[in-house]
Amino acid sequence: MRLSRRRILHVSLGAVTLVVGGGAGGLLALRGCAPHVDGLLCLSDQEYRTLGAVATALFPEGGAFPIGAAQLDLARVFDGFLADEDDDRRGDLKKALLLLEYGPVVYERRGVTFSHLSAEDRVAHFERWQTSDDLTRRQVALALRRFLSVVFYDRPEVWPHIGYALLPVPA
Amino acid sequence: MTGAIVDLSEGNAPGETSVDVCVIGSGSGGATAAWELARAGRDVLVLEEGGDFRGGALTMRDGMYDQLYMERGGRSTVDMAISVMQGRVLGGGGVINACDVVPIPDGVLRCWQKKYGLSEMSPEAISPFSRRALEDLSANTPRPDQINVNNALLRAGAEALGWRGEVMLHNRQACQGLGKCLVGCPVEAKRNPRMVAIPAALEAGARFFTRARAVRIDGATAEQKTVHVRTLDARGYHETGELTVRARTVVLAANAVASAQLLLRSGIGNEHVGRHLILQPQLPVTALFDREVRSFHGIPQAYAVTEFERLDDEEHGFWGFRVEAVGGTPGIVASVLPRLGAEGKTLMRGYPHFAASLLLVPDTGNGRVTVDGRGRARIEYSMPDEQKQRYRDAVKAAARLYLAAGATRVMVPTARPVVITTEAELSAVDALGFEPATAPFISAHQQGTVRFATSPAGGGADPSGQVYGTRGVYVLDSSGFPTSASSHTMTPIITIARYLAQRLAA
Repeated sequence: MRLSRRRILHVSLGAVTLVVGGGAGGLLALRGCAPHVDGLLCLSDQEYRTLGAVATALFPEGGAFPIGAAQLDLARVFDGFLADEDDDRRGDLKKALLLLEYGPVVYERRGVTFSHLSAEDRVAHFERWQTSDDLTRRQVALALRRFLSVVFYDRPEVWPHIGYALLPVPA
Repeated sequence: MTGAIVDLSEGNAPGETSVDVCVIGSGSGGATAAWELARAGRDVLVLEEGGDFRGGALTMRDGMYDQLYMERGGRSTVDMAISVMQGRVLGGGGVINACDVVPIPDGVLRCWQKKYGLSEMSPEAISPFSRRALEDLSANTPRPDQINVNNALLRAGAEALGWRGEVMLHNRQACQGLGKCLVGCPVEAKRNPRMVAIPAALEAGARFFTRARAVRIDGATAEQKTVHVRTLDARGYHETGELTVRARTVVLAANAVASAQLLLRSGIGNEHVGRHLILQPQLPVTALFDREVRSFHGIPQAYAVTEFERLDDEEHGFWGFRVEAVGGTPGIVASVLPRLGAEGKTLMRGYPHFAASLLLVPDTGNGRVTVDGRGRARIEYSMPDEQKQRYRDAVKAAARLYLAAGATRVMVPTARPVVITTEAELSAVDALGFEPATAPFISAHQQGTVRFATSPAGGGADPSGQVYGTRGVYVLDSSGFPTSASSHTMTPIITIARYLAQRLAA
C-alpha cells in the first residue's frame, strides 16, 4: 500500500505518542506555554511559536544581510495562508508542526522541543529532517522550507540585499 | 452573435442552462475546441475554475502562484516527490508557461500509429494542424539580443563541448523581457489561448464562465448530459453556489489530471481512466559564475541542449533527455540551495550570479490519478530505475555544460546536495537515488490519463476522443496522448484539439 501524506502524518503522530509515552501532561510540560499572540486566524500560540522558530532558523537576522524572518512575521503569513485552505490540508499542516515541535524528543531522545533549541541546533535538526530516511520528516521539511523561502524572498524589503528587482512594466 | 466572459463569483450564476456543447477547461485544448465548435455554429459554454487575469492584475510576484495554479501552486504527487504545476486561470497553462513552441515530432506520431494503432494521426494528416497552431501562436525565433546570459551560458557550454542545441521557437510578440512568464505576462506579449483562441471563440459566440468548478457529469450515455457545477468565491478558495449545465456534447479539456479526476468522480469510463499518467518531471540544476547572470530578467527559457534527446524512438517516440535554461524567482532558487540558515543567506547574496536549467526527461505512463472520498485528485507516481539513470546522466551533462561555460561550481539541489567543481567530481552524481522528497522535481506537462486507443482494451477514449462507454463525452486535451507528445505540450494540445474538434463539428 502506498501511503498518502495524510496517512503518513497519522501514522507518525501515533508514533509520537507511543515513543514519548509520558502522556499528554508530560508532553505539554516539555513544550511549555507559548506566549499569547493576538489576531491569529488558524494557528494556536504553540503552532505559531513552532513556525516562527523554523522561520528564524532558516532566515536569521544578520549575517550576509540584516533582515530576517522575525522582522517579516512569516508565521503570520502562514496563518493567513492556512485560513483559506480546506479542513483536511489545514489539519495536515498543523500536524506537521506538532511533529516538528516534538521531533527532538521523538527521534533524537532529547529532553527539549524544537522551539526551545538554539538557532544553530534548529538548523542542524531541520537539515537532518531533510536528509532523513523517514519520508514523513523529509516531506515536512520540504513543505515548510519551500513555503517559507517563497514568502521570505518575495518580500521587496529583501530584494536589495540579493541584487534582485522587478523590471518596470512599460506604460 | 458575440459571446461573453461571466465571472460567477459575482453571484450571477443562472442556476440552470442548456447548450449544445459544454467545454470543461479553457486552456489550449478547451479554448481551441470552443473556437472550432462555435465557429461551426454550436452553442458553446466553457467552464473555467480559475479567474480571468490580464495586464496589471499579473503582478509578477510569487504570490500569483496562489491564483494562477491549481491548489495554489501546491499540487503534488501524494508522496510529495513531484510538484505538479497545472494552470487554473482563464486561458489555462498557456497563460503561465515559458512560451516554448515545440510541435509534435513526426517520430512521435509514427510511434502512435505503430504502437497504439492511431493510424489516422499520421504526420501528413497532422501537419496542417501543426502549421495552423504555429500560426495561431505567432511562433517565431527569439532575436539574438533577446537571449539572456543564462541561456547564452548554456549555449556556450554546448558549443564548447560540440553538443547539439537550439534556440526554441516561442509565442511572444513585443516581449519586454520582464522575465516573469511563469506568473503571467503583464504586457500581454504572449500569443496564448487567452489572447488568441478565447477572443476568437467569443467572436464566434462562445460563452465563458469563470470561477466555475465542474464536479460531476451525469447521463454520459444519454442524449442530454448534465454537468454539475459549483461556483467559487472571488479568490477561488471556497464554493459558494451551484449551477447545472445540460448539453448534448461534453468536451473535457481540463488537463490530464483534472479531466481524469472528473471522469472518475462521475463514474464514467473504463479501467484505463486515470492510469498511464505521464508527468515528464523536470529537475532543476544551478551553477555559480563569477560574472553576473541575472537569470531573472529576459526570456527565461530560450535555449535547449538537444544532444541527448531522440524524437523517433520506436518504443516511446520522444525519449532521452534535454537540458533547458530557466529563470527562477529568488524564493524558488533559495528553496533548492544546498545551505540553510545564515549560510543560505550568504549564498543568496550571490543570486545574480546563479545560472539555472531544467533537466527534462520524458517518461512512460508510470503515474495514476485517482480520487479520494471527497472527490479530490490523488496523483501517484513511481519512477523506474531506468528513468532515474537518465536523470543522473542529465545531471552529469548539465554539470559538464556549465563547467565548460566557466562555472565555478554546479549545485544539484538534492536533500544531500551534490556540489561539483571539476569533471573529476561527476562520479558523485552516481550516488543520487532520487527517493521521494529528496529532489525538487517539477511536472508541467501532464499527459495520458484517458489515452486514445482503437479499442477499450487499450485506452480510455477512441481515436476521435470520445470516452469509451459514453455517447458524446470527449477528451480534447493532453489526457489522450498515449506517449509524451513533445518536450512542451501547448502546441501539441492546440494541434490535436483542433484536429479532433473539426471532426466533431463535421
